[in-house]
Amino acid sequence: MISLQNVTKTYKNGVTALEAVSIEIEKGEFVFVVGPSGSGKSTTLRLLLREEEPSMGEVFVAGKNVVRLSSLGGIPKLRRNIGCVFQDFKLLQDKTVFENVSFALEVIGKPKHVIDARVPEILDYVGLGDKLNNYPDELSGGEQQRVSIARACVNRPLVLLADEPTGNLDPNTSVDIMRLLDKVNKIGTTVVMATHDQAIVDAMRKRVIELDHGKVVRDQSRGVYS
Amino acid sequence: MAFAAMSTAFIALFLFGLALIIAREINLVIEAVTGNVQVAVYLSDPVRPDTVTRLQTELQQLPAVASVQYENKDEACARAKKLFESNPAITENVPCEVYPASFRVTLADTAQYGQITARLSCQPDPTTHDITCSEPGVLKVLDFRDILDRLSAITRVLRNGVLFIAVVMLVSATVLVANTLRMGMFARRKEIGIMRLVGATNWRIRVPFLIEGLVEALVGAALAIITLFLVKVFVVDQLRGRIVWLPLIRNGDVLAITPWILIAAAGVAIVAGTIGIRRFLDV
Repeated sequence: MISLQNVTKTYKNGVTALEAVSIEIEKGEFVFVVGPSGSGKSTTLRLLLREEEPSMGEVFVAGKNVVRLSSLGGIPKLRRNIGCVFQDFKLLQDKTVFENVSFALEVIGKPKHVIDARVPEILDYVGLGDKLNNYPDELSGGEQQRVSIARACVNRPLVLLADEPTGNLDPNTSVDIMRLLDKVNKIGTTVVMATHDQAIVDAMRKRVIELDHGKVVRDQSRGVYS
Repeated sequence: MAFAAMSTAFIALFLFGLALIIAREINLVIEAVTGNVQVAVYLSDPVRPDTVTRLQTELQQLPAVASVQYENKDEACARAKKLFESNPAITENVPCEVYPASFRVTLADTAQYGQITARLSCQPDPTTHDITCSEPGVLKVLDFRDILDRLSAITRVLRNGVLFIAVVMLVSATVLVANTLRMGMFARRKEIGIMRLVGATNWRIRVPFLIEGLVEALVGAALAIITLFLVKVFVVDQLRGRIVWLPLIRNGDVLAITPWILIAAAGVAIVAGTIGIRRFLDV
């Protein structure tokens, strides 16, 4: 599903974020990417989204070489197959929960009947079936992250990328969010999660890839944080 | 900001239209004064048909002459009546026989005007400044080149001056529209970020902003067209009839330039759209 082959990424300012990194992730896997700040976690996610291009090496997502995709059609199509969740939720404050999720379908041109069917369904799935008309500032942090997960999943992506999704949440809420991500993973979505949260990584016992100074220093199935 | 962009577009397009109208007006004046000929050869009375045929053939053969049109007394009379139609008192007591018949000559090469005067043996009269001719049947030659030159010089200066200001204003309008688009995109950067993330295409993201720019330019164009009609009604129409020989633009003339204003507005929108959203072209 995801394949980084000997990838090096050097930014314009000369910082090398990744150095000769090779990672293979199978369909339906749940993978933690851990490591200190600046170790290359976010760069890895940005490469998968084709927000950055590798300086060297190849990146494949769902069988496509993402470097070769065109900005006209290829990159948007790639991103429709990848859901994204962030530490800061990235919700639109002037839209309701329903509108935040439906926005993701509207802007890729889905017809109204599809939107009206899928949005309540996914919001129900993440446990917010009764908050469709609330605004983000009326929700708790955990609920806002659920909206963001609903938005990421509403188009049924093959891959879910989560960048520190529990970074802003208390431990109990974090556990709820991890249960939800696990649920999303169980229905076949490949989940890649960058995190600092040791307790969560240790509790989940999933595959752990540890980065340090842009290199893979550990790749362990059913691993712990360190 | 949108208001600034719209009003600049309006002023720019109004000046652009004004330049076009001035050019049209001066063309009307030239048409009225000279009948669009460069040289008129007036024939002395009585006009003999064989003289007309002979002179027309001879003039036609001169290399400097592009075309020779014979205008008889009745045609000359009709033209004068049309010229002064807003003030018929001038022409109504003048019988048609008084108008001289003439050849109306268009020159292929205006510098070679001397060929005509030489052929007809004409001399400038030192007292009246008329150019009288000794060729039998020819009364005098009227040289419109000087008037034409002056009129077209005035046209050029006026039209180019207004056009220059219009171009400067059009550039400002373009920059302002582009800036409005950019600010709009900046204000919505979070939404745009999410749109990109979920896989919206570039066009899907840009089209609303391009439409906004087009609307701003077209509102400016509509206001400019309305104002030009108001100028025609409240300025030009007030002058009508006051200066008897002066033909003035009509509604049709204003209407004829509206497509150009709309094209200029579309140009502003396209250029502004291209430079305004360029920063957001990269996916």
